Amino acid sequence: MDRIECQWCKAQNEPDRTSCFTCGAPLDKKNLVSDSGWAEAPRLRDMTEFRFSNSTCQIEGELVPVAELALAQGDAVFFEHHVMLWKEPNVPMSAMNTGGGMKRMMGGMPHVLSIAHGPGRIAFSRDAAGEVVVLPLHPSMELDVREHAFLAGTHSLNYSFVRIKGLANVLHGGEGMYLDRFVTQNEPGLLLLHGYGNVFQKTLQPGEKILIEPGGFLYKDSSVTMNTVKQSMKTGLMGSHNMYLAEMTGPGRVGIQSMYVHHGSE
Amino acid sequence: MSTPTATYTCPYCRMPSEGSGGTCPHCGAPVDVRERVSDSGWAEQPPIRDMARIHFSRSTCQIIGKYVPVAEMNLHDDDWVYFSHHVLLHTDPQVRLDTMRMAGGWNRRLAGMPLIMMTARGPGHIAFSADHPGETLAVPLQHNQAVDVVEHRFLVATGNVTYQWENSGVWFSTQKGDEQEYHYPLGQTMDRYWAQGGPGLLLLHAPGNTFIRDLAPGERILIQPSGLIWKDPSVRMTLHFEYPHGAYWFNSARWQAKSVWLSLHGPGRVAIQSVFERPEMVGQVLRYSSATTQVW
Repeated sequence: MDRIECQWCKAQNEPDRTSCFTCGAPLDKKNLVSDSGWAEAPRLRDMTEFRFSNSTCQIEGELVPVAELALAQGDAVFFEHHVMLWKEPNVPMSAMNTGGGMKRMMGGMPHVLSIAHGPGRIAFSRDAAGEVVVLPLHPSMELDVREHAFLAGTHSLNYSFVRIKGLANVLHGGEGMYLDRFVTQNEPGLLLLHGYGNVFQKTLQPGEKILIEPGGFLYKDSSVTMNTVKQSMKTGLMGSHNMYLAEMTGPGRVGIQSMYVHHGSE
Repeated sequence: MSTPTATYTCPYCRMPSEGSGGTCPHCGAPVDVRERVSDSGWAEQPPIRDMARIHFSRSTCQIIGKYVPVAEMNLHDDDWVYFSHHVLLHTDPQVRLDTMRMAGGWNRRLAGMPLIMMTARGPGHIAFSADHPGETLAVPLQHNQAVDVVEHRFLVATGNVTYQWENSGVWFSTQKGDEQEYHYPLGQTMDRYWAQGGPGLLLLHAPGNTFIRDLAPGERILIQPSGLIWKDPSVRMTLHFEYPHGAYWFNSARWQAKSVWLSLHGPGRVAIQSVFERPEMVGQVLRYSSATTQVW
């Protein structure tokens, strides 16, 4: 029998599987794509389990899902400490110094990321209704993520942070000063994000543009360029009103969330 | 939209259609599910199915997502919509964005309402979403039909829907120290949306679940004021205060324990949401708009 390709992460699955073994996406449901080309992130079924390296991840709950990891010996994940929901007492922990202390302090980002090592179980969740977005990263991929949006990343990912270029982009972009950057080298990795509300992804062709509300930005391939564009609108006696939108230019994937905090107008 | 072979009337928006395709083309409500009505007469508004399409004028609106749904419009060249700028999620670069002047700027600022609305003209895609989990409600309006909507529930409306705002007329004052404090359980203002020159479409976003009820002439129901989403203009609103009976060792206990209800008087439709704000613990009521009082 033919193997089933996951529409979300493109992994090849055994014919009898109902959810993808690398990202948990349902394999027996049609991919939902809007008329303009935004694909809904797969809504993971409660208790869906998938694998990374020698470990497993199980997604529990629907409104504010929990990602529960069973870490095998030799595997590890890193995360911001406040997303940890529970852990077994014997899970070994260590710290990752992110460097760039002053920059990260200015950007409101944690100086230290926590690392949990296997063997043992640990679970993560965020603080509002939304979806866990599972992004298996193939070797030599670079993904930029809105700050404070990542839930956990596997040890094979290289973590860094990049400053958003251009003062106007920082001041008016609404994404903060930095983006978290996750890079894979020779082996695949797994990144778990939490998007508020519902999450949608669109793949932009080279040169294709889309304008999005800065607060709705969640992630992008590093090949996608992001610029803040000002929309000036005359408002009669009150003068003018400026609105700032993020202009994303392909090629690559862009992910957005439907619930956000609006920052970008004055 | 023409409905030459209409055989189905949507129980939620009351618009006729063919009843095929799984959803009402005017409001997106599923047509193949049994109507759920509580014993007391509240009809549960079924959530619009993921990817369902609503048709208006020569454009479409697709509702996508489940927790915080997105209303994605494919605007025809001749169509335009208006909205508050903070609900814009994404847009094609070719969609023409502009501003719509709002009268009464100072009063709107005092009431915490946006000073300007934005307009978007086709052709192209544009999408809107709110900032809390809940349901997107599509309220199609026939020519000359109007609805009254509580402030901050509005998402987007078609260009031929006239927007007016006026004082809600529901208030009371309490004593705080030497000063009188004014309370507006519904907000200071209420929005009226009125379709003119043809049918229009109004999209709202309500936290939690939504329920609709038809009040008969003279029928009255008490609801939590912050639970109201919209009502027909024919529905009249007053306040209703309830106090516990008995003696208390400090007098303010009675005022703290009072209930402040919004009393809705039929005839007409009312829609409520299951999420509402926790009522304020406020003192003795001094003055108030039209109201009734009961001690129990």
